[in-house]
Amino acid sequence: MKRLLLATAFALGVATTAQAQTVHVLMETVPDTDYIKALLPEFKAATGIDVDIEAISYIDMHSKLVPQLTSPAGGYEAIVVDFYWTAEFTKAGWLMPLDDLIKRDKVDTSVYVPSLMNLVGKVNGVTYMLPFYNYSMGIIYRKDLLEDPKEQAAFKAKYGIELKVPATWDEYKKQVEFFSRDTDGDGKIDFFGTINQGQRGDCISMQWSNYLYGNGGQYHDANWKATFNSPAGIKAVEDFRDDIAKHGPTGAESFCFDEANSVFGQGKAYSFVTFNILLSGFNDPASSTVVGKASIAPNPIGGLNGGWGWAIPNSSQDKEAAWKFIKWVESKEIVKKRTLAGGAPTQAWVFDDPDVVAKRPEMGKLKTLVATAQEFPTFTYTVDFVEALGRELNLAVSGQKDPKEALDTAAEEFNKLAKKDGLLKE
Amino acid sequence: MAAVATVNEIVRRDRQFGWFMTAPGLAALVLVVLFPLFFTIFTSMFEYTLVRPGYDTFVGFDNYRSALAQNYFVESIWVTAKFVVAVVLIEFLIGFTVALMLNAVTRFKNIYYPILLMPLLINPVVVAQIWRMFLHPELGIVNYLIGLVGVSKVNWLGDPAIAFWTVVMVDIWHQVSFMIILLLAGLSALPKEPYEAARMDGASTLQSFLHITLPLMRPVIMVTLLIRLIFAIKTFDLIFIMTRGGPGTATDLISYFIYRSAFYGLDIGQASAISVVLLIAVLALTAYLYRYMRSLA
Amino acid sequence: MRAGRGVVGRAVSAVVPHVILIAFCAAILLPLLWLARVALTDKVTAYKLPPEWVALRFDNFVEIFATFGFGRAFLSSVIAAAGSTAISLPLATAMAYAFARFATGGMPLRLFVLASQMLPPVILMLPLYTLFQMAGLINSWTGIVIAHLTINIPFLAWILVAFFQGEVEQLEQAARVDGATRFQAFLKIAVPVAAPGLLAAGLLAFILSWNEFLFALILTGKATNTLPVRLASFQTQRGIEIALVAAGTLVAILPVLALLPFMRRYLIKGLSLGALK
Repeated sequence: MKRLLLATAFALGVATTAQAQTVHVLMETVPDTDYIKALLPEFKAATGIDVDIEAISYIDMHSKLVPQLTSPAGGYEAIVVDFYWTAEFTKAGWLMPLDDLIKRDKVDTSVYVPSLMNLVGKVNGVTYMLPFYNYSMGIIYRKDLLEDPKEQAAFKAKYGIELKVPATWDEYKKQVEFFSRDTDGDGKIDFFGTINQGQRGDCISMQWSNYLYGNGGQYHDANWKATFNSPAGIKAVEDFRDDIAKHGPTGAESFCFDEANSVFGQGKAYSFVTFNILLSGFNDPASSTVVGKASIAPNPIGGLNGGWGWAIPNSSQDKEAAWKFIKWVESKEIVKKRTLAGGAPTQAWVFDDPDVVAKRPEMGKLKTLVATAQEFPTFTYTVDFVEALGRELNLAVSGQKDPKEALDTAAEEFNKLAKKDGLLKE
Repeated sequence: MAAVATVNEIVRRDRQFGWFMTAPGLAALVLVVLFPLFFTIFTSMFEYTLVRPGYDTFVGFDNYRSALAQNYFVESIWVTAKFVVAVVLIEFLIGFTVALMLNAVTRFKNIYYPILLMPLLINPVVVAQIWRMFLHPELGIVNYLIGLVGVSKVNWLGDPAIAFWTVVMVDIWHQVSFMIILLLAGLSALPKEPYEAARMDGASTLQSFLHITLPLMRPVIMVTLLIRLIFAIKTFDLIFIMTRGGPGTATDLISYFIYRSAFYGLDIGQASAISVVLLIAVLALTAYLYRYMRSLA
Repeated sequence: MRAGRGVVGRAVSAVVPHVILIAFCAAILLPLLWLARVALTDKVTAYKLPPEWVALRFDNFVEIFATFGFGRAFLSSVIAAAGSTAISLPLATAMAYAFARFATGGMPLRLFVLASQMLPPVILMLPLYTLFQMAGLINSWTGIVIAHLTINIPFLAWILVAFFQGEVEQLEQAARVDGATRFQAFLKIAVPVAAPGLLAAGLLAFILSWNEFLFALILTGKATNTLPVRLASFQTQRGIEIALVAAGTLVAILPVLALLPFMRRYLIKGLSLGALK
């Protein structure tokens, strides 16, 4: 019955394709989407093709995409895909391999930062996507406090080392402790060294990954057997839990990045580990009281990598026009314009471009941040694992489960999923 | 004999008329109800995943078994049951009280009524977002206000013991008016004569309520509770935005569990299996409650 | 009801309902007032504690209409909600009457009607998308109205059964003896007596459709998005645009004001209709 329906749907879809050239793109509501929207008239002028961008919230994208992609006649010519979904979408056969088009039009993919090309470009050697923007994680901190001579002297007196952009995870932890203060003398911390994003699900999983790497841990070994329930992992959970209790705001175990963001934006914290794309928001007076005071540093051991890529779904009604759009949006000229507007680029050269650096002095640090970022395990069941890990971590940091026990449960689920995906072999 | 034939004729015509009245609505529904039901039951017996959608591998009841074996499945059922009972009962008690009061007054009714309608017109996603803001432990207005009277910060959504009741509270704020509207409509449709007769006999307000209002309101109360129950079991947005089932598993409702099976686990077969179990349970509960409440009449 | 009580007792029982109602309305209104204040400021001021009282700004309202197409979304929502309510109410009323008077189809049919409402929406998504695509109803107002009918008809039918059951059948039988057809008895006697229930149920159906999210998300596109879908897009990767959310939410509550004159009549009429019996 389903087959019959699909066949009919396909026939109907084919019948309605002869339309004026418009590329429909489903995107996420991020600043980068707005930068592109502003540039679209240039594309229309150059090619005569209309681009219709529909921007929806991240949490609704998967629901919106799946019915479109499973149907043979989808409504979108091009889509953007989170690194979370690359394995799922490619394994399901929803995305079109781009290698032939890349070869035909001599598109140079070596311009991309290798860590991002690995993350969202290629799957098992086949190119399915061109990296669009990165959301690698780093440490957003208060530059004005770090550079304050009085703070520097006090820090040196207390710890015997300089107060500077941290070069080790331990150094960062000392800064977190140092800046956690009780400013009104009521016996409770009210200026926070760090803000945790402890909500169950991807919020805690993403942020905790930085703690795991910071403590020298890894998710799995070469055979895809879980290793994050190691002593380093346990230490990372304990650190995370203690940061919430001693250095962070009440209720951080229920925060996602919006809550953490607001605390930092209200000038109530020294730093937090988060997505680099959030930095520009702190220079916007409509959402921040710390305009000009925030900066970003890479996680000393390498933080968590993240990014989105451009893809053409197999259900696309006009693959050629979609490809034209992707080539244009990833051309050097447009990438530079997007970056100047505040975008989070994926091509390596633009981080060193003199015009860009002149306007955005933090580009050098962002380059290191992206280049050293580490990859979350990307496989078909990434999202399922993120949920299981997030649940166990949240149980541990809200004091309902022993850290080791929680990590053991998550590791067990990881191994089960890796086995299901054919990666872990007994 | 002739009389019997006439009665049969009337019964036959009644039945015909019943189907005549039902047909247009049924016609509008049949495809959109039958097809998804069929799809769900059928899919629940196959290895149908988003990565490999299709009906190549028949697995019988394996999906049902693997769903039950998942970590925290039983907890999720238990949390859902607790949540549904809590919101339906509390909303009913508050809702009935307010409806009775509204029915008793004549002045300002057209001020009270629009006010209580307002939360219902807000989308659940937004209700969750704005309450998350109000309940922000450091920057929320609620903790600020209770701080003014000397209460220390409450960890509304991060404390496992509190988060469940926070979510219940927000649901009540949002949905209690649903009950009020239906119960008030029921009350205003009640006949006046029995009350006058009771007053002649010297019955107290309480006696009138127990012996006239409650029995006459039974059908409306029954259906209000049932519909609210069915909606409460499907509660999703509130949890998805406010807690993601946390802290730990304190607010992990079954609807979010099924969502995870389908979209995170990519296993439509298994998600369908849980849905079928849920469907049977809710159907059985509805039929039972309906019969039970009718038997009281 | 209040016979045998003194002046004091009567005064108390006249005041008590208002005290309870005012308390209840305050519990509902105070959060909404705070929301209004959020809508009239920007995100950074909205989060400032103690609250900082700066000049109110209407930028958010301008922005949601100018940049985010709330005008169009509002129209889509009105079409979806009013359309599906207007169609489902008569269909469901007839169905409910048959269920209540003639037990048409018995319990199995009644449960069947409601069955798809007991499946989690996430499960309905794939089959319904396929169905609507087949019918060519994706990204159209017709599509979303039909989708909402499938929610409203079962819901309304179940509620209205209760109102028809509560009615006294004698009136209809008397009309039948006087020569009215079954349909006339339904239309002229049963429906007017059930009017408070019909109006309340219709109002709730409008609200259900007004808030419906998942169908609207997967079945509509940019030109036909309803308010809930638009509002959801303010949850961005840089955080929730709470001031815009607040402004959009206040706009979404507006239909209450439009319904006011209509409700005033209903609220007074509700009493007199009851007396009719």
